[in-house]
Amino acid sequence: MKNITKEELKHMKFLKIENSKGFFFKSREEVNNWVEIDKITKEDLFDLLDKAISSEFEMDEYQESDISHKAHQIVYKSIFEKFSTLISNKSKFKDECDSQYKSALEKYKTIDDKHLPIENTESNIGNQ
Amino acid sequence: MKKIDLHIHTIATSNDSYFDFDLFKLKEYVQKLEIDCIAITNHNVFDLNQYNEICKALDIVVYPGIEIDLNGGHLLLISDKDDLFDFTKKCAIINNLKKTQEDYISVEKFKEIFPSLSRYLLIPHYHKNPILSQQTIKELDTLISSGEVSSIKKFKSCIKDKDSLVPLIFSDSRYFPELKSFSTKQTYIDLEEISFSGIKSCLTDKQKVFLSKDEGNEFFQATDEGLRLSTGLNVILGERSTGKTFTLNKIFSSFDNIKYIRQFSLLQNDEEKFKELLSRRHSSVSEDYLEEFKKVVDDIKNIDKKQNEIDLEKYITSLIKFASESEKADAYSNTNLFSENPFPIKNLSNLKKLIEAAKLLNENTEYKEIINRHINVETLNSLEIDLIKEYLKIEEDNHKKEWLNNLISTIKGELRFRTSSTVPEDADFYNILIDNEKIKKFNKITANLKTEKIIDSKEIRNFRIVATSKEFTSVSQLQKICRRKIVLSTAFQQYDNPYLYLRALKNLDLEETELYKYFVEIDYKTLNKHGFNVSGGERSEFNLLHEINDALKHDMLLIDEPESSFDNIFLKNEVNALLKDISKSIPVIVVTHNNTVGASIKPNYIAYTKREIIENEITYKVYYGYPYDKQLMNNNGETIENFQIMLDCLEAGNEEYNKRRTETYEILKN
Repeated sequence: MKNITKEELKHMKFLKIENSKGFFFKSREEVNNWVEIDKITKEDLFDLLDKAISSEFEMDEYQESDISHKAHQIVYKSIFEKFSTLISNKSKFKDECDSQYKSALEKYKTIDDKHLPIENTESNIGNQ
Repeated sequence: MKKIDLHIHTIATSNDSYFDFDLFKLKEYVQKLEIDCIAITNHNVFDLNQYNEICKALDIVVYPGIEIDLNGGHLLLISDKDDLFDFTKKCAIINNLKKTQEDYISVEKFKEIFPSLSRYLLIPHYHKNPILSQQTIKELDTLISSGEVSSIKKFKSCIKDKDSLVPLIFSDSRYFPELKSFSTKQTYIDLEEISFSGIKSCLTDKQKVFLSKDEGNEFFQATDEGLRLSTGLNVILGERSTGKTFTLNKIFSSFDNIKYIRQFSLLQNDEEKFKELLSRRHSSVSEDYLEEFKKVVDDIKNIDKKQNEIDLEKYITSLIKFASESEKADAYSNTNLFSENPFPIKNLSNLKKLIEAAKLLNENTEYKEIINRHINVETLNSLEIDLIKEYLKIEEDNHKKEWLNNLISTIKGELRFRTSSTVPEDADFYNILIDNEKIKKFNKITANLKTEKIIDSKEIRNFRIVATSKEFTSVSQLQKICRRKIVLSTAFQQYDNPYLYLRALKNLDLEETELYKYFVEIDYKTLNKHGFNVSGGERSEFNLLHEINDALKHDMLLIDEPESSFDNIFLKNEVNALLKDISKSIPVIVVTHNNTVGASIKPNYIAYTKREIIENEITYKVYYGYPYDKQLMNNNGETIENFQIMLDCLEAGNEEYNKRRTETYEILKN
């Protein structure tokens, strides 16, 4: 499969149901392909978590009848529900992140007019 | 002119430290300090028998009084001597009401006990702790015209302030056998003969109360030996071992809240110690600067990224294992609820903030007009109502979900107890993501924090103190913060990864609330007027300027031989000007040998200490007067030539002075 650009990743499907099986999209270390859902690892989940928040994360709706593989059914259902909840909380997540440590980020900004320019005195310090 | 002290303690109450009253000491005090009238004012108690004894022993006027704990402050209530029986009765009621040290009498109760307040003299603690509040003074109506202050500085500022009460300064002393020196805090009133009505009338007029007998408020009595000093700038001269430091110590023990700069205390030769001193003095700068960072660290230190990863791993491996065993599932694990995820509970904190904001907009009266120009009242009302409705709806939903989650969890527990299948674990995706986000931000904040920058810069005359924040470069710098023997080197290896570094610090035996201090060094530098680091001598100069500036928070400044640490140019240009300036606010007393300080500073008053051996006994004498007086005089009327003192103390005698003037300087000049 061809390499996927970051732009493409921002708007695509990550969980799909095909041929009565569940799949997730793996895009890690140059690998970009669909992998059966029961092969998913902790690292894959981490990647999906990041994408669920940073991009338009699409998934095929879980319908029990669409997946015949029992194990796929269980894993797909659980992960699908987890991500549905997460995506429905996306705006809350964004709000929460935006307000996180806001005053600290503001206060310790590196290029900040409120601090005196360091050059004025630094050249003198320790010259004696 | 009469000297009065209307605040004297003769009984140790629960408000006092214990002491045995000594009537002879009180008598000695009254005689030595030449006091014309006193009042006995014990805390919430009046003892008629003791009062009568005191009256009998002293040949001055003694008024009966009581110091009442009133409404959070103290009030002196002094009575005439006409109805002692009634006064004793009323004081006994006060005494009964005061069961513990924390009890205070209310204004209503006080007025009930003393219905005719105009019969008494009421003096509240005014600029003196515990202060009787303005509100209480107001509630007592116009009966209060004067108030007690704790220092000469406050006395003078009340005199100048047209809205203030008439200031009074009293000893507030206890008299016991071991008492070594007496307080010199008394007030002079412009009265021919002591009478209760006469005192009352004087205490309504600022023109009739004074710090000194003949010289208004420009002088005060500094020691119980009669040393009179200016409320401005004083210089004490004298040869070695003539009692100069002894005199300063005596003044120091007679007054409260004094800044005393002792001889050699300002020498700063050790750079490291000086740095520590600077850090201590300016610790508020560091604390203010790191306040936000501390909050972040306090939050981040509870995040366990590793545990989050483990939770996620457990979730996925148990889920996959459970799924792979689905063929073998038993009746228990086959139920839907067995692997069901719990309902997520919605956090309402943001909505709560929104409701509060809407409420604030709705209820604010100060900017109502602007708010309503853009959003009308009805819209605001319905916004608030809709937000509250939404809140209630979600809250109800949350309650239902919580109830269901409990139910599901109970059922799952039962099923899991019976099944032989793998049990799928749960993981909170949302919180894991939030934690990751927090760690990213924490790393960013810390990186910014470590960028070297000036965070504060203060000028003190020709010096500048610059506080710089920068990253630590060695583990020894951390050790200074820790001040205990803890191995920090392993943690420090992670210094470049703030989150891992914090985890490593957390595992050490460090104070958790102090962890934020281990991320960035706040370095203080004192630069001279040329912008260079200060030298050893300049460090001492800077210290002196700092200490003198600090004196303004006090009621009096004493300096013992500043010249011992400084050169003349600095003394003349900086110290003299600063001392002059400060003496406009508080009394300043400088002990010196140096002609730059002694002569060039142009003091308001000078004192000269002299040691004499009379019949094999050492006696110390203190002469005083104006700098332009030909002669200085002591309390016994003995005089001494002022010019000779100047030459002896400041110029090493007449001969030396002439030699220096005619030989050394003239030769140099030519």
